[in-house]
Amino acid sequence: MRELINLTKRNVKVYFSDKGMFFTSLITPIILLVLYATFLAGIYRDNFISIIPEGFKISDKLINSLVGGQLVSSLLSVSCITVAFTSNLLMVQDKVNNSIKDINVTPTSKFAIGLSYFASTFISTILVNVIVAIICFVYIYFQGWYMNINDVILILFDILILSLFGTALSSVVNYNLSSQGQITAVGTMVSAGYGFICGAYMPISSFNQTLQKILSFLPSTYATSLFRNHSLNGPFREMNRLNIPINIINEIKKGLDCKIIFFDNNVTIRIMYTILILSIIILTVLFFLMNKRRK
Amino acid sequence: MEGIIKIDNLTKSYGNIKAVNNLSFKVKKGELFSFLGINGAGKSTTINIICGELRKDSGTVLVCDQDVDCDDKYIKKKIGVVFQESLLDKSLTVYDNLKIKAALYNITGKDFIKRYDELSSLFDLKEIEKQPIRELSGGQRRRADIARAIIHNPEILILDEPTTGLDPGTRKKIWKVLNLLRKKQNLTIFLTTHYMEEAADSDYIVILDKGSIIAEGTPLELKNKYAYDMILIYNISEDEIKKLNKPYIRIRDGFKIEIKTLEEATELIIKNRNLFKDYEIVKGKMDDVFLNATGYDLEVE
Ligand SMILES: Nc1ncnc2c1ncn2[C@@H]1O[C@H](COP(=O)(O)OP(=O)(O)OP(=O)(O)O)[C@@H](O)[C@H]1O
Ligand SMILES: [Mg+2]
Repeated sequence: MRELINLTKRNVKVYFSDKGMFFTSLITPIILLVLYATFLAGIYRDNFISIIPEGFKISDKLINSLVGGQLVSSLLSVSCITVAFTSNLLMVQDKVNNSIKDINVTPTSKFAIGLSYFASTFISTILVNVIVAIICFVYIYFQGWYMNINDVILILFDILILSLFGTALSSVVNYNLSSQGQITAVGTMVSAGYGFICGAYMPISSFNQTLQKILSFLPSTYATSLFRNHSLNGPFREMNRLNIPINIINEIKKGLDCKIIFFDNNVTIRIMYTILILSIIILTVLFFLMNKRRK
Repeated sequence: MEGIIKIDNLTKSYGNIKAVNNLSFKVKKGELFSFLGINGAGKSTTINIICGELRKDSGTVLVCDQDVDCDDKYIKKKIGVVFQESLLDKSLTVYDNLKIKAALYNITGKDFIKRYDELSSLFDLKEIEKQPIRELSGGQRRRADIARAIIHNPEILILDEPTTGLDPGTRKKIWKVLNLLRKKQNLTIFLTTHYMEEAADSDYIVILDKGSIIAEGTPLELKNKYAYDMILIYNISEDEIKKLNKPYIRIRDGFKIEIKTLEEATELIIKNRNLFKDYEIVKGKMDDVFLNATGYDLEVE
């Protein structure tokens, strides 16, 4: 147990002291910020205004809060995964530069070593994303705050779940990698691709039907949706209070992936959590089975 | 207990390359054992197998009478390794590196501080303890590597080219510490080196070529077998040297003649007094043992 804690501490320390790895994980979130700052925010703003029927007065604050909530949810859903992946790449890095040899010569079990990478990835991911979340909350506060304590807690819970998901997924994907080239490939693929397939760059609802169907099989779709729901709950409540027709609100929710249809069925929040938790369990079990198999 | 490391018919291939080929030898407790061979001879491969880092294809490897395949936790506590390339975490400080590795041997808290102080005074770590490994010079890094390797007081210390690239002063300092440890704790040292003068001090030498032993013995035995004393004769013409009736090799400013014993040399000189105006007798060295045994004579004649 003591060796596990120390090894985990070592992994976290090495990850944060290697600034290159840490900054790679911020590439996708930064791309996202740039996209928002340059044009996405404008598009969404115009979009919301055009959907709201004539005769309803909607304050700038509420619109800003909607746009801000969307940005924040996208940022968090992406960075939970990319940070997990880059911090988990330490496991591969250690193989590439042979650091793992110096750990293997100690009487530490292979299982504890595997577990330490899992634990350190999770800790690093949570640490970074709680900080990202705090910055996000401050941002939303200045854009227009309609959240209640429940929403905040749920967003933090989502970070927990998604960090676990990112940890389990990256552990399985990275387990068999063993070269610098593969590290770069996976790092690039995840930072370039994940924002797209999880609907962070553009909502999945704006993709064509086939793609939407395919993506509805991926847990990442539901992960983003959870963040969307919880960061936009406040603005939606406010719209309700302003007596904006429920079908209009639902329209907006659909457009933002808050509502996801899986073969004509509406996927509830509870089912989304179930999907993610099941994925986490399956991936985690897989990772530890792989660790067991190799002596 | 006869041998602290016993290797029998060890074989390991990488694809078509037989890195280690039917290797058998023994290392006795407390001895300084030198494992020599040219680049690519299979030294590091053998070391990786001994410390459980690499799986062997066949043969047996016993460390402290335990098979490396079975009980490796027991063995791992007995062995400390300095790998050919430094494997400490480059971005962490010397102190943090040692602390983390110590914890993996269950040395923490007060025990660690005590052990760290001992190592710190042995290897002068005080001045570098707060520096990240990547900022250290080669010699400083090697000191940290060796301190790391013996942090858990192992019985066997495996050193894979510990002094390559170090200046003579640093090399001497490192050997002073190692010799102290041998004397105080009866530490067994398994050494790989390309510096023959280091090997000359060892108790037993094994020379490897293409994964197999080509020569072994004590330094004296090997010198007797592979290193000949030489007479170097200067200021002499080729016609004159031919009169000695001995095989000779031309060197700069003169000729070189191999002799088996010193008596033979004395006799030769007395008989041919007039030819030996300017000469010297050079004793066989470990360098010659290595070159003659491996047959890779790099000398330019
Ligand atoms: N991971 C590997 N994959 C393939 N071949 C390898 C591998 N490691 C070593 N070899 C080969 O095995 C042989 C022995 O290598 P080894 O590293 O044991 O040599 P060495 O005696 O330590 O040499 P040096 O003095 O250069 O360190 C070499 O021919 C090398 O090319
Ligand atoms: Mg080597």
